[in-house]
Amino acid sequence: MTEQQVIQWTNEVFEQAFEIERSMLTADAHIFEDLGLDSLDIVDLVVALQDRFGIRIREDERIRTVETLGDLYAYIVMVGQEAALGGEG
Amino acid sequence: MRRVVITGMGAVTPLGADVAALVDGIENRRSGVRRMPGWEAYRGLRSLVAAPAEVRDEKSIPRRNRRSMGRMSFFAVRAAEEALADAVIERARLGSGRVGCAIGSTMGGAEALSQTFETMSHEKDLAKLSSMKFFQCLAHTAAMNVSQYLGITGMVLAPSGACASSLQALGIGYDLIKCGRQDIVLCGGSEEVHPTVTAAFDILYATSTGYNEEPQETPRPFDKKRDGLVCGEGCGIVVLEELEHARARGAAIHGEVVGFHTCASGDHVSESSHASIERCLRGALEDAAVSAAEVDYVNAHATATRHGDAEEARAIAEVFGDRVPVSAFKGYIGHTLGASGAIELIAALVGMRRGVLYPTLNLQEADDCGGIRHVLERTASRVDLMVKNSFAFGGINASLVCRRAS
Repeated sequence: MTEQQVIQWTNEVFEQAFEIERSMLTADAHIFEDLGLDSLDIVDLVVALQDRFGIRIREDERIRTVETLGDLYAYIVMVGQEAALGGEG
Repeated sequence: MRRVVITGMGAVTPLGADVAALVDGIENRRSGVRRMPGWEAYRGLRSLVAAPAEVRDEKSIPRRNRRSMGRMSFFAVRAAEEALADAVIERARLGSGRVGCAIGSTMGGAEALSQTFETMSHEKDLAKLSSMKFFQCLAHTAAMNVSQYLGITGMVLAPSGACASSLQALGIGYDLIKCGRQDIVLCGGSEEVHPTVTAAFDILYATSTGYNEEPQETPRPFDKKRDGLVCGEGCGIVVLEELEHARARGAAIHGEVVGFHTCASGDHVSESSHASIERCLRGALEDAAVSAAEVDYVNAHATATRHGDAEEARAIAEVFGDRVPVSAFKGYIGHTLGASGAIELIAALVGMRRGVLYPTLNLQEADDCGGIRHVLERTASRVDLMVKNSFAFGGINASLVCRRAS
């Protein structure tokens, strides 16, 4: 999966699940402060990302370090690469 | 002693989005019962009819509030908004701590509960479980969502006494105001139609099964051809307010709650008992310090089951004889379960204000159970004192006495 695809799919999750306008979805946008999500939304964000990307991240402690949308894009790319490596192994 | 009056009413029902639509439907003898598409898929489900209501304009509710709402909460916030507008109570007043809400239901959000079970049982995987399903299916989901959405910071309660829930909620609000703990309480009940709910009654042989091809002919309260209840959905909210509080702000008064009683049969979980219904009716009259002879109208629970209607009619006859006119509204809106007491009370209060008794829809030939006086046609009649009756699974009874606004 390309980085561009990760950005597009992640943005679609924010638009559809959290009704946030596309224009606000920039890499430096803070997920809590700028996009207005709260602790309950994060639970549903994880559910939606798992469903969209076919990944499992609920138990991954690293998701807790994500603050901005850019952090999230990078995190998903990383998880995707790990899954691909695991698949090859 | 502080007195308790009704200053606002709101309702979402199978007949429409507000109190006006409910009363207009009753005035015009309309039924909200429909054949439910897709219910044939449930093997063994014999009752394929219900009375659905419509969720309207939910997107206008901010996402932060909307996300925790299922159908019954959407109904509840809309009915609460209408009731507050009717009472002319501004939102700023709701955060005083002196305003509360008591909104009951039978089992919380059936749809969200069912979806949660499907996810857990079939997939056995929490990865697909939304954080919001829990808030949508809680037993107090309607009360919680109304208080969160409107900013109510007083006492928030959610009595769950199955089909007596909303009348119990009114009784709680009445007591809280009378004893000085709150000045205003939004009281009522909310419920949603779901095949799992109808199925619960269906396996007990309590549903109507013989009118799937002519849904508007059922339910038939007190009728010889009645064959069971039809589940409905919606919400009724009544604003109860302390009399002097209402007078001080110049509020219009729909009626006064003067008596309430709730009690149990202590006998059987599903079979209603005329003796305990009678005890409840007498308890409410005693609380109101009025005699049965003073009552001008009884709005019955009458779900249209063979046993329940007969027991209730016998209890009403024991208390009131055959003098007092009796009608029931489930022929119009189905059995809205935990919401039924409040919704039906609202329609009866409008009738009291207009000087009209509304008839029982689908009552064509009264069963000879109890010997009570049925209202068969729209009848002009002054009502100064009326009784609303409810009863429920678990042997629960609730009765409320209301006086016409002077």
